[in-house]
Amino acid sequence: MNSLLLKDINKTFGQGSATVTALNHINFKAKAGELTLIIGPSGSGKSTLLTILGGLQTPTQGQVFLQGQSLTELTNKQREKLRLEQIGFVLQAYNLVPYLRVRDQFALVDQLTQHHLAPAAFQQITNKLGISDLLNQFPNELSGGQTQRVALARALYPDPAIILADESTAALDSQRVLVVGQLLQDLAHSENKAIVAVTHDERLKQFADHIYELIDGHLTPVY
Amino acid sequence: MFLARHEMLYEKLRYSLMIAVISLISFLIFIISALALGLANENTEALSSWPTKQVLLSKDANGNMGQSLLSTEALKAYPHQNQQAQVGITPTTLKGQSKNISVQYIGLKSNEYIYQDLKLSSGHKPKHRNEIVVSDKLTQYQLGSKVKLGVSSQTYTIVGKARHAQYNMAPVVYGNLSNWAPIKGVTPNYGGSGIIVKDSSGLKPKHADEKVLSRQAFLNKMPGYAAQNKTFILMIVFLVFISLIVITIFLYILTKEKLNNFAVLRAQGVPNRYLLQNTLGETFIMLLLSVGLASLLAVVSAMLMPKQIPLYFDWQLGLAVGLGILSTGLLGSLIPMRMITKVDPVSAIGG
Repeated sequence: MNSLLLKDINKTFGQGSATVTALNHINFKAKAGELTLIIGPSGSGKSTLLTILGGLQTPTQGQVFLQGQSLTELTNKQREKLRLEQIGFVLQAYNLVPYLRVRDQFALVDQLTQHHLAPAAFQQITNKLGISDLLNQFPNELSGGQTQRVALARALYPDPAIILADESTAALDSQRVLVVGQLLQDLAHSENKAIVAVTHDERLKQFADHIYELIDGHLTPVY
Repeated sequence: MFLARHEMLYEKLRYSLMIAVISLISFLIFIISALALGLANENTEALSSWPTKQVLLSKDANGNMGQSLLSTEALKAYPHQNQQAQVGITPTTLKGQSKNISVQYIGLKSNEYIYQDLKLSSGHKPKHRNEIVVSDKLTQYQLGSKVKLGVSSQTYTIVGKARHAQYNMAPVVYGNLSNWAPIKGVTPNYGGSGIIVKDSSGLKPKHADEKVLSRQAFLNKMPGYAAQNKTFILMIVFLVFISLIVITIFLYILTKEKLNNFAVLRAQGVPNRYLLQNTLGETFIMLLLSVGLASLLAVVSAMLMPKQIPLYFDWQLGLAVGLGILSTGLLGSLIPMRMITKVDPVSAIGG
């Protein structure tokens, strides 16, 4: 089963002569255990696609399925719950709450849902991501790379079905880009997660199991 | 209140400064309330110490007992009753070894309830015409001191000191009703100022030139009392309104800075309700700490303030003021809460 499936998605904004088509007949799938890359330049519709993948917006036409469940038929509250438990986000900025220590970033999830990794599995993730000795730090005490790794762990903590990463290598140097790319690939394979990375960074291509190209709202599978 | 608690501990200085500002405004409200109550007491303390439901006085006195003159004949129409007391009240000057002091002389009858219920802090009640009891605020005079009052040539001996003896902003001197006319400088045809009634038996005036007022109506007619109270109430209302604005501004700035984080949290599925509860919780903690600190400052001020300053702290009034500040402060959190409900999690995507 596909973890994430988009069927003939259209997304338009505005009305009449002011209508803008952000996404045009999009078909997309992401499977558990695979890293899928969506590459496109600025203004191609990447952000819009990501919001639809994450259930933050509904398409104008078409359907979105998460683990076989249609997102388009859910209420806002239901999609919110789904995001909390089934979807992990790794965003460009403000991933972490600035006044919570690293360990409290996860404690926040405990406050909101029972649905999260068992302690042993969580320890495994923190060890794999190399953040075990960062648990008492505040986000402003972490480097860019450390912040991204903590954000990844935070996204994995609710044990979601999919991870959506938005420009996760923005503002990172070449070496760190490769580290993050390798990390995403390893996590997808070892944790059996469907990881979808939306980016304009071509350097991540080498790590992807599947690649899609998004240009002017049109999505084309490349690999 | 997980987020609220952590944020406040993380930004200790920022929140301490905000709490300090709100505390100072709250402290000011407490002090002004205490001053208002203290000054009101300066006007009414004596009256409040006698159970009073109604007051009878002359119509043309305009509600001012000090200006009321009732003839001896008119007073005879009101036979002695347990629930009523005839009084003669006049502003006058107490002259002794220290400089002259403005006082209110209150003449009483020894067989009536006000005299009988007088609460003394020292000494005894007057047994003879030349004996008086003074307010315990007249610390420059002791038991046994000899003084003169008004235009009377009589020398009076202080035999007692009374608690809660303030009337119309002046310390009270209690004495025999028969002393009132000579002290005031009127003829003995006048027997007193009026009658104080203890219960709601409904005393009716027996002469056309007399009037009966309820306790509150009588208080409102006291020179300066109503105007003073209205002024203080206005000041308190303004201060509460200012504290509302200050709190709203603080919370607005705090929330605006966090909107990007809130958008990410909403994108991650954190419910609006959770964020709103934390904001309300944060506001409540800030206000509780502020009011608590202000109360502490007020208590310390009360201990250090000289006795001449008429501050009167009443726990019920303090509680009402504290709750008022809390409520208006929570009202101030409505604008930031509305900002949070308007956060669009989509804005978290795309950087």
